[in-house]
Amino acid sequence: MALSSSSSSVSGNEFDHLFKILLIGDSGVGKSSLLLRFTADTFDDLSPTIGVDFKLKLMTLEGKRLKLTIWDTAGQERFRTLTSSYYRGAQGVILVYDVTRRDTFTNLQDVWLKEVELYSTNQDCVKLLVGNKVDRDSERAVSQHEGIAFARKYGCLFLESSAKTRINVQQCFEELVRKILETPSLVAEAKSVKKNILRPGNEPPPPENAGSCAC
Amino acid sequence: MPAGESSVAKPTKRVPEWLNSPAWYTKPSHGFTPPPVEDVVQEKEAVATTPPAAQEEIEEDEIVEESATKDEPGFQENNDVSSSRFQERAFRRTLSLDARVGLFVVELSRTRIHLAELQRLASQGIPDVGGIRATSWKLLLGYLPRSRDGWDEEVSKKRAQYEAFKHEFLINPSEVTRRTAGDQSGSLSSNKGFLPRHDVSHGDHPLSVGSTSVWNQFFKDTELFEQIDRDVKRTHPDMQFFCGDNERAHENQEALKRALFIFAKLNPGIRYVQGMNEVMAPLYYVFRTDPDESNAVHAEPDAFFCFVDLLSDFRDHFCQQLDNSAVGIRSTISQLTNLLKMHDEELWRHLEQVSKVNPQFYAFRWITLLLTQEFDFADTLRLWDSLLSNPDGPLEILLRVCCAMLLSVRNRLLAGDFTSNLKLLQHFPRVDIHLLLKAAEELKSSQ
Repeated sequence: MALSSSSSSVSGNEFDHLFKILLIGDSGVGKSSLLLRFTADTFDDLSPTIGVDFKLKLMTLEGKRLKLTIWDTAGQERFRTLTSSYYRGAQGVILVYDVTRRDTFTNLQDVWLKEVELYSTNQDCVKLLVGNKVDRDSERAVSQHEGIAFARKYGCLFLESSAKTRINVQQCFEELVRKILETPSLVAEAKSVKKNILRPGNEPPPPENAGSCAC
Repeated sequence: MPAGESSVAKPTKRVPEWLNSPAWYTKPSHGFTPPPVEDVVQEKEAVATTPPAAQEEIEEDEIVEESATKDEPGFQENNDVSSSRFQERAFRRTLSLDARVGLFVVELSRTRIHLAELQRLASQGIPDVGGIRATSWKLLLGYLPRSRDGWDEEVSKKRAQYEAFKHEFLINPSEVTRRTAGDQSGSLSSNKGFLPRHDVSHGDHPLSVGSTSVWNQFFKDTELFEQIDRDVKRTHPDMQFFCGDNERAHENQEALKRALFIFAKLNPGIRYVQGMNEVMAPLYYVFRTDPDESNAVHAEPDAFFCFVDLLSDFRDHFCQQLDNSAVGIRSTISQLTNLLKMHDEELWRHLEQVSKVNPQFYAFRWITLLLTQEFDFADTLRLWDSLLSNPDGPLEILLRVCCAMLLSVRNRLLAGDFTSNLKLLQHFPRVDIHLLLKAAEELKSSQ
């Protein structure tokens, strides 16, 4: 633990961009497992996330040194009044569902996308739809085709993954970050308001016309 | 020195030097694999139950031990203690454990329990021997009456009540309809089992959308049950007791699920909130591992009622509608930050204004889960001995412990920015739980 925190503070001066990424979706879809696979390349049985968990990942992509702060939120409805503040300043949002539980897919449209529209402070924030647990293909309740259609309709990137078998986990984060890098307003912001992201207590700009996130 | 009997009240609000002692950090040695939890508990208990005199000696030991590693930066894992020295200390602790067991046995054998005395004893840590902790917790939570004569009658009554809850809430709708039909067929025997048409029309069926439909309720309940099921299966995934691949773990999971489901049904304003499984788990574990099998088999109802008692202090934290009220979680988090400000304004200022870590990011979990996810399980049980035995209630001491946690890492926090501080507080480092509790006690005497 000492090692990771010191390395992060050392590298704190050495990154080109700092991006804030949020993981959302119903409880038990595998948000924390995806994050653990991405940050530590392990798969473990995890306790449910209460409130919010926070992880840091350094990566190099397209020659840029990137520092990702990834916020892993609790899935249950009870926590939503508290999670709203986590959306502030996020450049990327990963919407996760479980391909074996249809309700987790429909809730993305009914609940989670609305949360993003309501609380996201970045007009151009990149959204990525992730259907997790594809290792359990025999129990599949949401087809890949439906995932693609959803992503097209709401302007999201789309991948199917398995935190358990590693499939597409790295790709999820890379695709998302690549898209963020391609979005000039987000990159400019990540450079200029670095301090705001480090200090989320600062008053965020009010969400303007939040309904039309044009990702 | 027994906790809470400090003769010298701290006149100033300065942080005592020992709070910054590296002795806070205990030793996760390299390649350490935790023994089965029962063993851990036993071993930890030996520490927990050290009487005041021996405790002083142990602290001296630890300071000596630490001086060797003092120069190393930051959070150093300690060197392994030499085995002979370890054995010597273990021996001393074992002796003192016997003495402490004796004190509890005397206390718990009284015809009328002296609650203040039990609280005082328990605040030093309850020995994990002979079901002492199970009985003590039940008394501290008010589940067992103070008069020993009343114990049997009271628990029989409660356990029967729980059976009735199970019968009421955990019944399959097809069973309900079958039973109803059974009742009717009795009265309609002359119709040779055929129901008149008008009776069938407002009968219940799985596609009924009426809010009074048992099936409609059943589907809502199914959703609730699935949520509880998902979380119970993830309760202490590292412990055989809860998540092992064996029949006993399976039974334990079923018991937790039922108890949480019944709580949700009886408390429709709160229902089930993620994390309640974590609060139920220590109660159930302690009661189920009571060596007195006649008690252990009733761990489920006992844990249920104790959970209800415990939550009477904390239930508002689980309620979303109360988040912004004077009794909600935000208000309690403010109490914690006020406490910190009172005891260490510099640290408070750094957290709030310099590194700008919203206390909600860490304290929400600390408080709603009663610190069950921050320490290893054996330490949690020791911590709960103190929570449950606090004369001013568990919340008051919980806030002091949380404050002591912040103080225990104050140097790192003061040197840290937003990212490192948040990581530190969300993944709290191993600390000596006894020193932490002692620090929390000091905060009381200096208030």
